[in-house]
Amino acid sequence: MDRRGFVKVCAGSAALALANWDQLALAAGFESFPPAKLTNKIGIPLKGAEIPVGEALVFSYPVAGVPCFLINLGQRPSQSDLAMKGEDGDYTWKGGVGPKGQFVAFVAICTHQMSYPQPEVTYMRYAAEGSQIAGGPGKIVCCAHASVFDPAAGAKVVGGPATAPLLPVRLSYDPVSDELSADGILGMAYIKRFFKTFKGDLNARFGPGGYRQDVGNKTACIPLSQYSGIVPAC
Amino acid sequence: MSENSENCNSRRNFLKMGGAMLAAGTAGCATGVTGSAVASGGPAVATGMMAALPKAKGPRLVVVGGGTSGLTIAKYAKKEYPNFDVVLVEKRDMYSSCFSSNMWYAGVINLEFLADHSFMDAAVNNNYIYFNATVTGLDRASRTLVTNEGDIKYDFLVLAPGISYDYDKIGVKDVGVMTALRQTYPGGFISPTEHVTIHRKVQEFEGGVFVQTVPSGNYRCLPGPYERACLVASAFKKNKVKGKVLVLDANPEITIKKEGFHAAFNELFKDYIEWMPSKAVTGVDVEKRIIKTEFDEYKFDDAAIYANVRGSTLIEQLGLMAPAGKSNQKEANVDTRFMNIIGDPHVYVTGDSRPHPYSKSANTSNTEGHYMAKVLAARAQGKEIAWVSPRTICYSMVNGFPMEAISVDAGYDYDAAKDAITGFSKDTKTFENRDTAKGQATLEWARGMYRDMFNA
Repeated sequence: MDRRGFVKVCAGSAALALANWDQLALAAGFESFPPAKLTNKIGIPLKGAEIPVGEALVFSYPVAGVPCFLINLGQRPSQSDLAMKGEDGDYTWKGGVGPKGQFVAFVAICTHQMSYPQPEVTYMRYAAEGSQIAGGPGKIVCCAHASVFDPAAGAKVVGGPATAPLLPVRLSYDPVSDELSADGILGMAYIKRFFKTFKGDLNARFGPGGYRQDVGNKTACIPLSQYSGIVPAC
Repeated sequence: MSENSENCNSRRNFLKMGGAMLAAGTAGCATGVTGSAVASGGPAVATGMMAALPKAKGPRLVVVGGGTSGLTIAKYAKKEYPNFDVVLVEKRDMYSSCFSSNMWYAGVINLEFLADHSFMDAAVNNNYIYFNATVTGLDRASRTLVTNEGDIKYDFLVLAPGISYDYDKIGVKDVGVMTALRQTYPGGFISPTEHVTIHRKVQEFEGGVFVQTVPSGNYRCLPGPYERACLVASAFKKNKVKGKVLVLDANPEITIKKEGFHAAFNELFKDYIEWMPSKAVTGVDVEKRIIKTEFDEYKFDDAAIYANVRGSTLIEQLGLMAPAGKSNQKEANVDTRFMNIIGDPHVYVTGDSRPHPYSKSANTSNTEGHYMAKVLAARAQGKEIAWVSPRTICYSMVNGFPMEAISVDAGYDYDAAKDAITGFSKDTKTFENRDTAKGQATLEWARGMYRDMFNA
């Protein structure tokens, strides 16, 4: 299993960078969670070959209230081993998974002012074809204040007021079955702030506290155009 | 009282933006006072009663004004430098934003959208104190802020009191007429109660002429009056009111996003909006409902009369006003980059009372606030940081049904030789093709602002 992911770099400690995920979680704020198989909307495991290149799929992970984007970069190669400056410290983004490293996933909450995809409308979008504010194809854009992120480069900021990359979601890919799982996430401190900020909305949508429930061993991936009623093409 | 430094400090020239970069601005005007000693500025003497506040646990940063600037600075200064003991002094006990209020007139948002945000929550979420009091004086020598609830000692003081109206500049000298105008035909660019009145006017309008005036100078929210014309017209159209919005504009051209606004006026509201350039208001007959301009008179049925804008009267009262050569709008006498009162590194003025030719908008104050939090954190630790331009991301809803908007994303250039802001930065862009994507984004822009000010 090609279990690539993200490794926190603690200042001056190369040894830690090679340690395993659970030790890192203790050392540096990473959190691993039980793996969840990525499925289509009726619960059948999603095949890599089925993942569209034209738009993001949305899945919840590691709990119901965290929306993530699964993106197929297509022919655009993912970079790898990038040093990133995150909200809660530095880390290395290892790159995409899949036959060409084309599958990447990020938490779909804007690091600027927390816009995120909701059933009525989304202000966060993967603009595969480019857009007015994206400045080129294949970027994640936030319509609210025009922040732009590059998913092929760890979702680093390439435009607008955001100062931190989107939080990375760790994927694993099984080349035999052509299936994907999510099994880790970085930045739970930010997600806790997100929960606090949107508690009222999240309770209304998921039931009291429902947004904190684990997704279990599988999570459905929904095309953004079906997940949100309005997808502004900013 | 008269302002005759127009040639030296013509903000209008700077702000006439047609999508391209602008020249002009405050060049050569920023001499003013330098190195003046810290003086006892304000008229009020300390009350002798200390405000009921806990003893400061670190350097006390007092922020006056719970608008976009003050709320942003209170939150982020504490984040940047947790040793700060931050007190936000705000005279209102209920928040309601001025930004986004135009949308309420067309009913595309409700009042909750603007007002369902608590000063208390902002303070609790971000570890500072909200102190509900009105500033009455300042003694800079002893670093004492005087309020109606007692005195507050400060190490750093940020005044972010916003704007006041200047009725003098629209030919209204009589205090009786000014008072009548203030409450009968409010401009709707300062206080929530103005918004409530204008909302009622629009909802009750049965037909005729509704005048919206646009002042000269660097008024708050450049696109605001034009956006309001569009949204009031949207409401008339929806309510099948045989009414017209008459826009009397003191400026020879729409001051910002002109292509987008002209397109909306012509394509969406041809029968509802009449825009008239170079019509500076020179007087108002409140009784007869007549607005006078240089050559003409206009009869109206109802109106929102937006007088010229000046720095908050608080700035003048506290003795912090810039000389006329530096600001022709009675704004504060601050350092161009670091916003401290010239000669006093303990007192700062931010937000719309600044003399800068920045667009007086929420996004400008919010981004300036993020930067100022860093300035204050650095100075509290004996350091300095480099100047960073604020950013003006500003949407205008030009149609209510469906919601369609245009936008601008502007930065500013600082010229070190002139010590002045000289124009928009090269990366300034306008998006003047109205569409529903930007209409949606307009709502989320505002929600993001609220989150940034009130949430953790």
